[in-house]
Amino acid sequence: MTSVAESSTSLRNELEKIAGESKANAISVAVLDLESGFRFSLAGDRWFHAASTIKVAVLLAIFRATDEGRLRLDDPLHVRNRFLSAADGSPFRLSPTSDGMPELYRAIGRTVKISALAEGMITASSNLATNLLLDFVGVEYARNVLRDAQVSGVELRRGVQDENAHERGIDNEVTADGLLTLLCAVRGDFLKQQSREEIIRILLAQRFNSMIPAGLPPHATVAHKTGEISTACHDAGIVYLPEREPYIVVILTEFDPEKDGRYQTLVDISSLIYRSLTGRGLEKQ
Amino acid sequence: MRAETFRAIDGLDLAPEYRALLRPGEAETDSHGNVHRLPRFFYEIDSWQQAHEIRFAPHFTLAELMLVDCREAELLLREFPHYVPCAVILLAMFLEDFRREVGAPIFISANGGYRSPAHQIGGAKSIHAWGTAANIYRVGDTFLDDAKSIERYGTIACSLSQAVLVRRFGSGAGETDDHLHLDLGFVSLAPRECSEAS
Repeated sequence: MTSVAESSTSLRNELEKIAGESKANAISVAVLDLESGFRFSLAGDRWFHAASTIKVAVLLAIFRATDEGRLRLDDPLHVRNRFLSAADGSPFRLSPTSDGMPELYRAIGRTVKISALAEGMITASSNLATNLLLDFVGVEYARNVLRDAQVSGVELRRGVQDENAHERGIDNEVTADGLLTLLCAVRGDFLKQQSREEIIRILLAQRFNSMIPAGLPPHATVAHKTGEISTACHDAGIVYLPEREPYIVVILTEFDPEKDGRYQTLVDISSLIYRSLTGRGLEKQ
Repeated sequence: MRAETFRAIDGLDLAPEYRALLRPGEAETDSHGNVHRLPRFFYEIDSWQQAHEIRFAPHFTLAELMLVDCREAELLLREFPHYVPCAVILLAMFLEDFRREVGAPIFISANGGYRSPAHQIGGAKSIHAWGTAANIYRVGDTFLDDAKSIERYGTIACSLSQAVLVRRFGSGAGETDDHLHLDLGFVSLAPRECSEAS
């Protein structure tokens, strides 16, 4: 039987091989197997620009607020494309052309249910939905939720596409270990059962499945959130396999803006972790 | 549905939980230090269906002028009846004139018509708590999100009445940059059948 230390060493060696063959400037991985308790981290404390993975933190805050009775998921929220920069309070707007939910811009001026915004924020990675929700609950509240959930390694400082803040170095940042802790909080006792089930349902409905899920057999389902900007390509999720307990995996990468092969790197890592944890290949189940 | 077919009520006769939120007739100091009395008389609205049926002007239903989001007090957001100051009828009449002048439909944003004094945006200091203000985010196909459109339609609104105030374009205090704010001042309306004796 392979020991935990041997498994870690073997996985580390394989990951470093993939990292060496890829064109990535940095790769960070965190894994927690809920069946065996096996925990693994490669550069798990390295900070990355969070990109859209930060939306999981906003989602946690929304559901915590729901549990606390601060809001209801079927509450209406005014859709307004105007936000204030975390840098200097100057107003900024988002572009529908770079939003995964362009139809939401047609609702400007009217109201949309918080549940629909939460779902759009994750499944379509809508920036407008994200900023509306974060604007509503407040950055400070969301940070307090992360603190109360004992999530470190996730720094939520602002809404998305706040260029003024970005130019001044005010960015949302995550570590692989931090996102793993966040996903543990999502599925743990921090939220009420109904919220927990709903948040997992939303993450399972993710539309962007070219990274972690693409490295898994067809019968796997993944509750996850991707994140991509010019220099970062991430995926973090909970992998469900019917024959065993789930495992949590976070893969964070940095690339030069023009470099290709990002998705394949994440797919290879996802596949490696699956094989490492289950001892199986990717044959059809 | 005509205005006289639904009920105007004296806010002072409302249950304590409603009075605490609507604060009928109470004095409130605005941002300039001027004191105004909050509306005392309200139309009582039994359902959203009724709000959609009530037309204070040919092209404006009451529903358009009372749409709020979850920043409104829970009781006033989720429960019926809803209460809207009677002066909202004057706003509807002005908006009808404005619509006729611009020759296109106009769109009032959520939270952009009547908001109660308990609403998280502006609260009792906002003129929206009088039901005499409107935030217009769109005229016809034009979204009012730049200086040109906001100033253009603001000028038209002001040309219709000296009682109208529009906010200037900008992102500073008292300015707007993604809608046209117009209002008729701190107007209260006492329906004929209501007494102001007490």
